[in-house]
Amino acid sequence: MKDTPAALSIVEAAKKLAAKEISALNLARACRANSDARNSSLNAYLEVFDDIEEQARAADARRAKGEQHPLLGIPFAIKDNILIEGRRVSAASKILTNYSASYDATVIKKLKAAGVVFMGRTNMDEFAMGGSTENSAFGPTRNPHDEARVAGGSSGGSAAAVASGMALGALGSDTGGSIREPASFCGLVGLKPTYGAVSRSGAIALGSSLDQIGPFARAIEDAELIFNTIRGKDIFDSTTIELTTKNHLPAGGLKTKKIGVPRHLLTEGIDADVLKTFEEALEKLRVQGIEIVDVELPSAPLALAVYYIIMPAEASTNLARFDGVRYGLSLKGESLVDDYAKTRGEGFGPEVRRRIMLGTYVLSAGYYDAYYGKATAAREKLRREYADVLSRVDVIATPTVPSPAFTIGEKSDPLSMYLADIFTVTANLTGNPALSVPAGMVERSGKSLPVGVQFTASHGEEATLFSVGKMLE
Amino acid sequence: MISRNDIENLARLSRLKLSESELAGLEKDFASILEYVGQLRRIEVGAPTEASGMSTVHNVMREDVAGVIVGGSRETLLDAAPRREGDFVVVRKIIQRDEPSL
Repeated sequence: MKDTPAALSIVEAAKKLAAKEISALNLARACRANSDARNSSLNAYLEVFDDIEEQARAADARRAKGEQHPLLGIPFAIKDNILIEGRRVSAASKILTNYSASYDATVIKKLKAAGVVFMGRTNMDEFAMGGSTENSAFGPTRNPHDEARVAGGSSGGSAAAVASGMALGALGSDTGGSIREPASFCGLVGLKPTYGAVSRSGAIALGSSLDQIGPFARAIEDAELIFNTIRGKDIFDSTTIELTTKNHLPAGGLKTKKIGVPRHLLTEGIDADVLKTFEEALEKLRVQGIEIVDVELPSAPLALAVYYIIMPAEASTNLARFDGVRYGLSLKGESLVDDYAKTRGEGFGPEVRRRIMLGTYVLSAGYYDAYYGKATAAREKLRREYADVLSRVDVIATPTVPSPAFTIGEKSDPLSMYLADIFTVTANLTGNPALSVPAGMVERSGKSLPVGVQFTASHGEEATLFSVGKMLE
Repeated sequence: MISRNDIENLARLSRLKLSESELAGLEKDFASILEYVGQLRRIEVGAPTEASGMSTVHNVMREDVAGVIVGGSRETLLDAAPRREGDFVVVRKIIQRDEPSL
């Protein structure tokens, strides 16, 4: 992917665009060439939009009139659960066959104002339920580094698109790791913002207390640029907040940085090469003056169980709206209830059906307190532990995922798939921002596979994450 | 731990029509998933407090007046409906003459 404008970072491309060395049309065509070459095998895009050149020409015209936003004319891939008005959107599900977005998501409004060129909508696990994009109703997305392997999930398509030069940046969503895990598998920077930093208006909801939209990029400063463009308080999403630094440390730049590593969580179940790469990344930071200390997060081993109670519960509620009445697939049964059951039974895939059932179970009378009530209390305990540790260190570091990208079809048992989320779910439960940064490569069957390191910071401290991440670039 | 009958009830509550093989598969899946998440039940975490879960999120209120339209125009929304008649979304008749309402 060298020597093509599609290989540029966003910041590099923005400089060239401003200097009139390239045009948005050049960039769009370069990205389009990569998707023409590889999308049929990678399946990153479910749909490549047919008006890309028109959008690029419009961006060039805006620049000619004097507009200068750094994202003006930059080709972006958008996950298939973010609404762009008038365009098809399906959350990679058959239940939204032929559904077109009736409005723009707030993040899309912001990207349109900046002048981004939308290349297409990317493949994902159906309704964002999964860690490999194998749960898509439209086939898996393959990893550009090794096509026998998954690109990760649920935002696998967005990750694969950026990693293979089909776009310079992308948006994904992260409920339990769905940006960070594919970022780790595909060698990209992926950010899950602080809960509330980015509006969820226009994002198809999975777990409303967990979801955040965030960027994929090839460089930290690109991710920072995208984040700063899409974030902000929004009247259409009452959970949004204007970020203020609550941390007692000064914003942006610190004289000494301290990283906490919860070593008690790294004693088993992690691939040896991943652990080695993680230690090498820590060493790179150590020689730059960062102090690495041991920290304890006693409730962290429970986080996955907490997540797999809360998330299905919220999902079962959020997906109740898909009933074939107002939009989407509509099948006729013998009665009203049968209409719903048939539509949902055939429109939803197996993982979606499984999680709706699980959610219904934990919320049902007799089980509510035992599961959901307990999980909510455990969640608060976890949140307090993170706040406590982060009052003494700047960031917490772990590998992003216990392994590099696994092969397609390898994790056939649902529970084994869930275990890949072990390091990522905590940040969704607590609302803390978390960033996955490429840490190195590991060898598997003659191929080099990327591996990421994850940093978690206090609420609102994305700047700290970016500054630590830059030290690894 | 969870019976086939429980699974069938859950499918009914979830409004999901499932095949025989899927019902059997879910019985197995549930056993292992509930075993895993059930570890929470054996642990003391204290009672949920008022601030449980998302302490920094507060209720946001606004005046109950018609404001900015979000979600698209009436025409766009009606257009998405599987069955439409003029300005109405066509739905199944659920109240029959002389029958108690659903």
